[in-house]
Order: sequence, then C-alpha cells, then structure tokens
Amino acid sequence: MTTPLLQLTDLNVTYEVGDKEVLAVRGVDLTLDPGGTLGVAGESGSGKSTVAMSVLRLLPRTAKITGEILLDGEDVTAMKWGRLRAVRWAEASVVFQGAMHALNPVRKIGEQIAEPLRLHPPSGKALTDDQVDARVAELLTQVDLPPSRAGAYPHELSGGQKQRVMIAMALACSPRLIIADEPTTALDVIVQAQVLALLSKLVAEQHIGLVMISHDLSVLAATCERIAVMYDGQIVEEGPSAEVMGSPQHDHTRALAAAFPTVGDPVSRFAPATAGPLPPEPSGREAGEPLLAAENLRVSFRDRTGKRINAVAGVDLTVSRDEIVALVGQSGSGKTTLARTLLGLQKPDSGVVRYAGNPVPTGGAGLKAYRRQVQLVLQDPTSALNPAHTVYEAVAEGPRIHKLADERAVVHRALEAAELRPAEKFADRLPHQLSGGQRQRVVIAGALALEPSVVVADEPVASLDASVRGEILALLLRLRREFGLAALVITHDLGLAWNIADRVAVMYRGELVETGTVEQVLLDPRHEYTKSLLAALPGGTAQHRAVET
Amino acid sequence: MTTAETPRQIAWSRRRASLIRTWREFSGQRAALAGLVLLGATVLVALLLPLISDEDGLNVTKATGQPLSPPNADFWLGTDNFGRSVLLLTVWGTRISLLVGFSAALLSVVIGTLIGIAAAHFGGWVSATLLRFTDFFLVLPSLILAIALSAVLPKGVGTIILAIGLTAWPSTARLVRAQTLTIESRPYIERAHALGGGHLHIIGRHVLPGVMPLVLANTTLVVGNAVIADATLSFLGVGDPNSITWGLVLENALNNGAISRGAWWNVLPPGIAIVLVVLFFTLVGRGLETVFNPRLKK
Repeated sequence: MTTPLLQLTDLNVTYEVGDKEVLAVRGVDLTLDPGGTLGVAGESGSGKSTVAMSVLRLLPRTAKITGEILLDGEDVTAMKWGRLRAVRWAEASVVFQGAMHALNPVRKIGEQIAEPLRLHPPSGKALTDDQVDARVAELLTQVDLPPSRAGAYPHELSGGQKQRVMIAMALACSPRLIIADEPTTALDVIVQAQVLALLSKLVAEQHIGLVMISHDLSVLAATCERIAVMYDGQIVEEGPSAEVMGSPQHDHTRALAAAFPTVGDPVSRFAPATAGPLPPEPSGREAGEPLLAAENLRVSFRDRTGKRINAVAGVDLTVSRDEIVALVGQSGSGKTTLARTLLGLQKPDSGVVRYAGNPVPTGGAGLKAYRRQVQLVLQDPTSALNPAHTVYEAVAEGPRIHKLADERAVVHRALEAAELRPAEKFADRLPHQLSGGQRQRVVIAGALALEPSVVVADEPVASLDASVRGEILALLLRLRREFGLAALVITHDLGLAWNIADRVAVMYRGELVETGTVEQVLLDPRHEYTKSLLAALPGGTAQHRAVET
Repeated sequence: MTTAETPRQIAWSRRRASLIRTWREFSGQRAALAGLVLLGATVLVALLLPLISDEDGLNVTKATGQPLSPPNADFWLGTDNFGRSVLLLTVWGTRISLLVGFSAALLSVVIGTLIGIAAAHFGGWVSATLLRFTDFFLVLPSLILAIALSAVLPKGVGTIILAIGLTAWPSTARLVRAQTLTIESRPYIERAHALGGGHLHIIGRHVLPGVMPLVLANTTLVVGNAVIADATLSFLGVGDPNSITWGLVLENALNNGAISRGAWWNVLPPGIAIVLVVLFFTLVGRGLETVFNPRLKK
C-alpha cells in the first residue's frame, strides 16, 4: 500500500478571539491518495478553509492546531521553519480564492509566476533568467494562455484569465498537491466550466493530488472523485461524489444539494429548498396585465477612452402582474444597467419604460409616486443596509420618505411579510447582529413596506449561503402566490430561474437573445448562447444526464 | 426590551450606548485623555476668570509694578513695559484666544462641511464650480488673505473670527468631500434612491451622520490652527488692540523694546501658552480621529 499523499488525523483548530477560544475545526480525519481528488463542501464558517490552510500552516498566529497532518508521510505540525518553507509550493501549493485580490496589481504576471520558481528552484540551484522565462512560457501554455501575455498586468486580464494565472503559479514548482480554495467563485458559468475543465485536465495529466473547497456541491461533483461535507467544524459526510450528490445521507448535505437544483428536474420546479411549506398555486391563474414594460430601451456609457459602450442595446421586456421573470446573463451583459433603467435610476438614451401602460416620469412627484410601485432588492444585503441604522429604521425609511400614516404598523406588517417573526424581536437590532439571510429579509421588508406591485431583485441570493438561498427564493415565490407580487429577478444562475421563475429572458451583450417560459428556454434553447450557458452548468441538466445513462 | 418602547426611545438608548462605547475607546488613550482634562481645566479657568482675578490689573493706568521688572515674589512672571503683571496678561489672554479659536473653527468647519458635501453629492458642474472655488482658496496664502480681510473690515474680535474662518475651510471641504464620496458609493445610497429619497433625505439620513465623526475630530485640530492664526494676526498688528490676546502681548514686547532689552519673561509665557493650548487640542483631535477612523487603529 502506498503512503497517502495527505493524511489528516483528528485535526482540531481553535482560534483565540479576545479571551475566548473558538473551536473552528473538530476532529477531522481525511485521506488523499497520490493523484486523487477530494472536494470539501460547506457553508461559510463551516471550517473548510481552515482545514485547507492548516495543511501548509498558513493560519494566523491565534490559531492552535492539534492532531496530525501528514504530507507525504511527514508531519507538517512538527516541521522546522526552513523545512516548511521548502515544502510550501515545492510539495504543495495553493490556488487562492478571489484571483482579483491574490495577484499583485503592479507586477507583470510573468514575474509573479516566476516568483515561486526563483524562491524554490526545482533542481536545488538557482535558475538562469532564460530557464525561468522558458518555464513561465511553458506554464502559460499549459493553462491555455498565449506566452506573450507574460508581460501583461493583472488588470489587463479577465477574471477567468487571472484565475488561470493563479493556477499556473500553483503549478510552477510541479507540486504533488494543489489546494484550490473556491477557485471559481465570482466567475461566470461559462468561465467557471473552462477553469474547472482545465484544472481537472492538468491534475489528471500530471498526477497531482487536488483538494478543492467550494460551497457548491455540483462544482465539486464535476471535478472531484470524493466529496467531504463539513458542517460546524466537523465532517458530517464523506464518500464518492456520485453517492454524496445522488443520495445524501446527512440533512446538511441534502440542504446543500437541494440549494443548487438540477435544471430540468421536475422535483425542483417551483420548489426552492425551504423548511416552511409553500402555499399552493392559486387556482385560475392566468396571464395578468403587463405592469412594467421596456420598449426598445437603449443605454450607453462612455469608457475612459471616450468610446461608446452600449450596455443595453434595444431591449423589449415586460413583467406582468403575478409573475416572476428571471433575467439571465453573465457579468457585463448589461442586466444590472437594464434594472437600474427600469427603476428610473439611470436615464435611457432612447426608448421608454412604461408602468401600467404609461411612460415613467423622469423626475419630481411623478417619479416619487412610481417608486411606491416598483422597488429594488440589491445583491449584497450587508452593504445595502446602513450599518448605523436599526432594522426598524431601515424598514421605516421608505414609509418616512413617502409620509405613510401609521408607520409602526406598516413596518411590522412588512417585517412579518418578509418572515422576520416576531417583528418586535428584530426591530432594534443592528445589521451586524443579523445573519446574511436575515439581512436580505430586512432589505426585502424595506421594499415591501411601500407595498409595491413589482420588485426588481439584482442577484438577490448571490452573496448568501446555500441553505439560506432556498429560503429567500421561497420567500419571493410565496409573496407572488399570496399577494400577486410580480418580480424581475436578475441572476447569472439558471438553477434559480428553474426554481422560481415563470419566464426567462436571456441577455447577451446588451440584447435579449431569447425570451420565453422557463420550460421553453431552459429545456429547448434556441439561441447558441443559451445552449452554451446550459452546457456550462457543472451539474449538467436532467436531460443530459438521461442521455448519458 | 418591552414592546411598549417607541422607536425613538430605542434609537436614543442605542445612541447612548454608542456614546459610552466611544468614550471608553477615547479614554483608553492616555495622551488624549490628558489633553482633554487639561483643555477642560483651561476652558474652566478662562470662564471663571472674572470671579477669581481682578480686571483692573490689565489697565495701563492702574498698573502697580515697575516697568519690565524680572520675575519676583509679587509678579511671578515679571511685568511688561507698562508695569502690568505678565502672568495676569497671559491668563487673561486665554479668554480671547479660545473664543476666537472656537468661533473661527466652527465657522470654517460649517463652511467646509457644506461645500464638501455639496461638491461630492451633486457632482457635475456644481462640483466643478465648488472645487475650483475651493482650490482658489487653497492656493491663496491664507495668512495674507486674512491680513487683507482684517485690514479692510472694521477692527474687532468679530473681524478676526471672520478672517480666520473664511480662510481655513478649504482643507475641511476636501476632507468632507472625500468621505462623502466613499459613503455615496455604498449600495445603501442606491437603495435610498430607489425608495424615493431626495437630496435632503440622503444627505440628512446617510451622508451627514457618516461624515460627522470625522468632522468632529477635524474641528478640534482646526481650533488649534485658529489659535495660532489669531496670535499671528494680533502679533502683526491687525488684531483688535482693545482686547488682550497672546499675540498682542508678543507684539507689545517687540514694539516696546522688551526683547532687545533681554526681558525674556515678556515673550516666553504667552508663547508657551500658545504651544500648550494647541497641544491640548491636537491631543484631543488625534484621539478622536483614532476612535472614528478605523484605519488608524492597530
């Protein structure tokens, strides 16, 4: 039997916070064979990153590690500083989360890839500049970047390219183990698929062991042989990917798996993962009258060089009463600009926005009255709430602006409608005392307080944990079924559309390339771009799976 | 918490809690606390002066001492060329110096805050105009502008306050503008727009409370500068000749030959008084800045 590449035995990590000790990782056992791939799944705060960083002892000083970390049979916790330095990058390397911030913005990427080569020369003696350049070129080719890009600065690269540079850096010293911490978070679906494919290919070709961390089970299932699910510092489930995905044993795994539904799976249609029951579909539901409509809307910006960029290039879109429309597209497709224009926060170059048939006024009392009908829910609830305002003040902001009578009752109704019950319990809390999901509910309550008929939600769950995600989506669906509240949900996530939307509009480079019911668009896509979006889903669609098996 | 509490009460109890927190952080810094205590003592003395000392000693016709006598048992810090006690002059000088310092700082901070917020909030041509206006005042030597102003306007304490206040605001405006810009880029401002909030709402509910702590810290630093500016103007002879200020004592010492005759006791006490008061304000201001600006915390 070979020595495992990585073996964690009874790993415990405690952080000292103030004078308290917080147990971040409790009794974790993990084994990875050479060339094997292991996914670690979990929500924020589950301790998954702490486990990964403990392998190279990259944790802050306040962390205390007990237990055994064997890297190629050698105990990392007992290593001297010099040995540890040699092991880092030469034996095991890390692809850090958020490529935008992990690269030095003022150095060329070629130099940054060369850095580990110069610090840890593979043969033990320093490399000549020519050798370094040759190796950098080789690495860039491996990650599908032209070697001429070595002279580029990070800001000249796209998010996916930057992530590939990070992978090239990790490969530089031909390590035996790569630890990838959320390598595809903040990337678009299509780019994510490319990065994952590249990582899998390189790992398989060069027989490198891979530990990949993610909150998204489907991403892990697409890349890793085995998956370990962490919850509250412990591993609650471990097994082959297909088993963990297909028949999850632990409740938490089930919640994680359900949070990212398979497109085309009838079980998850109109059924976001939620603990509470959903009200039944009201009977006799028929197409309501159009509420919010964009007609040939165009918005353009000037970039730094003065060139015009058409962010929204002639869009026609309607949202009717009692329906949820999902606007899908990747970042930079103009979907947020479209939403801001619909809300009257951005002036269109041409075209009109109509509400209930009438053009939306561009200012004054008319615009203010329009704001009571169409409300906004932002992506990141943490920054969408003033940190100095209590929940009550945040929700009461709208009613105060519009001088609504009986503010207390309005606020309480809105908090209850957003499922923050009992309302009194939350009224005097500050945003930092709430969880991410509760904060998003406060933002939604703030919008509901004005009793709008349409809510425009810009990536409402993108910054939330998997288990909260389903609850927020269920809330939107409940609001639609109970009060007939229409919603335009902007997202990059097709699973979300499958979960709650009635219709889907696919946006690509400022234009709507495909619009139709969810079933039409997602199960029988017409446009090439929609097809490539669906093909890039890490979990695939239910149809594809049926074809494969 | 009981449900009977109104939101207003909740808001007040929260404000009180945050005030106590701020005070704890502030009083944790020994230098800042010392500055505050000494500053408080100085202000107290200045306010109580008419009760604890005799104003007659400032009148040249009623002066009792020999001209320019060195420090002795009767006059601890000696006398000036009129035979007045330098100690008395220095202590009385505190009143006008602090009055001018506080009023001028308040004036300049109010102007600076208004212009800073307006420049950041409205953008476009409003911002361009206000910023060029600010730059104009920023590049103009403020001392010369203040001299020109106090020479043109009728002499008096009010003129000095106006002259300093109208020249010291540009740095505050720049600071407030920068802080306003960072606040206005936060998504909760977008949310407030979408809720239907107008300019007044956004400035009053979100921007002003956000910049206030920084403005407060800035004010204490501006007061120190205003005290120096006041002394400078009086020393140059454009101040109010009828009120006793540290600058006036220094001017007097220069004009009447006290310095050339080696009467150091006419120069050092007011000079040291200026240094001390400015030091106290700086200590308090730095302490406040550390509390309010998280980036300065270690």
